[in-house]
Amino acid sequence: MKTIRERTGAVALVEALEKAGTEVLFGYPGGAVIDIFDSLKDAKFRFVLGRHEQGCAHMADGYARSSGKVGVCLVTSGPGATNVVTGLGTAYLDGVPMVMITGQVPLAQIGTDAFQEADMSGISRAVTKHSFLVQSADEIPETVAQAFYIATHGKPGPVVIDIPKNCQQALTKAQYPERVNLRAYHPEYTARPQQIARFAKLLNEAKRPVIYAGGGAIAAFASGDLTALARKAQIPVATTLMGLGAFDQRDPLSLGMAGMHGAPCANYAIDEADLIVAMGVRFSDRVTGKISKYAKKAKIVHIDCNPAEVDKNVTVHLGIVADVRDVIANVNSRVKANEHPEWLARIAQWKQDYPISYQPLHPGVIMPQQAIEAINKVSDGEAIVVTDVGQQQMWAAQYVTHRHPRRFLTSGGMGTMGFGIPAAIGAALARPDLKTIAICGDGGAQMTFEEVVVAVLEKLPITIVVINNGCLGMVRQWQELFYKKNYSHTILKEKGLPYLPDFVKLAKAHGAAAYRVIDPAKLESTMKKAINAKRTTLVEVIVDPDANVYPMIPGGKSVKEMIFK
Amino acid sequence: MNETIQRFDCFVENKPGVLARVIGLISGRGYNIQALNVGPTEDGTVSRMRIDVLGNEKVLNQVILQLRNQVNVIEVTGRKRRSAR
Ligand SMILES: Cc1ncc(C[n+]2csc(CCOP(=O)(O)OP(=O)(O)O)c2C)c(N)n1
Ligand SMILES: [Mg+2]
Repeated sequence: MKTIRERTGAVALVEALEKAGTEVLFGYPGGAVIDIFDSLKDAKFRFVLGRHEQGCAHMADGYARSSGKVGVCLVTSGPGATNVVTGLGTAYLDGVPMVMITGQVPLAQIGTDAFQEADMSGISRAVTKHSFLVQSADEIPETVAQAFYIATHGKPGPVVIDIPKNCQQALTKAQYPERVNLRAYHPEYTARPQQIARFAKLLNEAKRPVIYAGGGAIAAFASGDLTALARKAQIPVATTLMGLGAFDQRDPLSLGMAGMHGAPCANYAIDEADLIVAMGVRFSDRVTGKISKYAKKAKIVHIDCNPAEVDKNVTVHLGIVADVRDVIANVNSRVKANEHPEWLARIAQWKQDYPISYQPLHPGVIMPQQAIEAINKVSDGEAIVVTDVGQQQMWAAQYVTHRHPRRFLTSGGMGTMGFGIPAAIGAALARPDLKTIAICGDGGAQMTFEEVVVAVLEKLPITIVVINNGCLGMVRQWQELFYKKNYSHTILKEKGLPYLPDFVKLAKAHGAAAYRVIDPAKLESTMKKAINAKRTTLVEVIVDPDANVYPMIPGGKSVKEMIFK
Repeated sequence: MNETIQRFDCFVENKPGVLARVIGLISGRGYNIQALNVGPTEDGTVSRMRIDVLGNEKVLNQVILQLRNQVNVIEVTGRKRRSAR
């Protein structure tokens, strides 16, 4: 028999992370994880040192979103742990698989307000699927296996492993388990044959069907089956913000994004549909608007892996709790090839009559939408586009041609400013074969700008585009429309002063190349230069501060109340 | 609002942190727990939590589904006890 080697909990952790398939570990050191850092020298995976723990968490998140693998992150106790809370919440609301390892004070000191003690299992409870507080070194390998399992099974999400320092130092012979055995957690559900039969019947009988796909369709790797279904039965496809990329927008069946800032044709189609096939969506208030007026003419089929989602926000005609891809693949074989010429003609008319569009407001001033169009032209729907949060996020959603799953990364549920730059770093590490472009606002870029150094040092040729409108644009837009133009503390650029910070100098100080574009005529050529550059490059685009995101269905309103400008 | 007292019987793994997670899910919504009783079952590795909560019935039904999603929760049953006056 092979003798079992005794090693520290810290070494056992590194081994377990390797066994779990970790390729990149993002993190930041500190006293409560110094033993783990000491054990990293022999690790088979790459370690990426962030510059702020929030950044590390978003990097792991971007890595996970773009690859479909688990994002892994390691930070110290106390302030290191509390700094990742926003990153956990961001991943939690968007269902991103992540394992977050936090150091903890030695077991004997827990509860004594020891130096850098924070009750991480308590703090993280509301923003994780689960958290473990390790009690002995022997638990470490199995806990890692369980954490990876929980992060990826059922609706994906973040899991915290809080490891007291003495457990990192203690010796253990415990081995990584062959199989994960969680007594109470069995989140695999399958559709009943009658459900599939009913679903197929509804599809076959529908006159005005719409597929409505969300982040859950991407998480379930269901794009291919979804596309096959849409094409076979000629069903138009709308997506949520999180579902962008689930269906190729160059396909004539694509309706684009639905919701508050969605394409009119997508919202009209949902409003007029007689059947909505919702897959991996939550029917968030940003999409449904006034719920009592939502999709009144439609029967709704809701497919989701999470039993708590079905019937939560809307009452559905047929709820199927199961893996989205399994259900679609299954129903595909029972669905008749179909055509809906009248319905598709009506949709084509909406597309023609109500395109998403904008008009220049001031001659010679770049419109933000124009900047996104320039990015889209250069990247041709192939790059990974990561956004920050605010107006620029919505313009990116609207003006990028989304063609592939896992190439539009955005903080949808939490709406976390500061997500863009670090998430782009994570994505670029996961997909070195693709170009990665972060589109940020001037406000959000300042929240995690320190991570630019990481992109430079890791030699990542990402492009960071700062859409500089001199203001916290999305809030300013709401103030303009709903708060009588009382621009209370949303204007970042002081009148008569140059914009602070100088993003070009700032980027250069961080070791990146940088350009500023003011002239519309130079927009495309600068984007081309930046996106094709072999190094980290920032482009600051000075855009019209008065531009707003349209169309818009104001919060709590219905499709009928859509405003266009 | 149509609020009723709802009773949950929650069977959970007898492990540290489980009680806090279950209670947190309910109290995080601003609901006040009226009564709480936790004890062992014949199977010493399983605890039963009986929780009475005043709240909107539809929301509380959703809470049951969310409780079932918890990693250490084995089963949850819920029923209406009485309408609030
Ligand atoms: C961390 C965080 N704080 C505050 C907000 C609220 N918020 C949403 S959009 C926005 C404005 C963002 O401004 P900017 O980054 O310049 O983007 P813009 O809307 O101008 O494109 C703010 C403050 C948020 N979403 N996240
Ligand atoms: Mg801005």
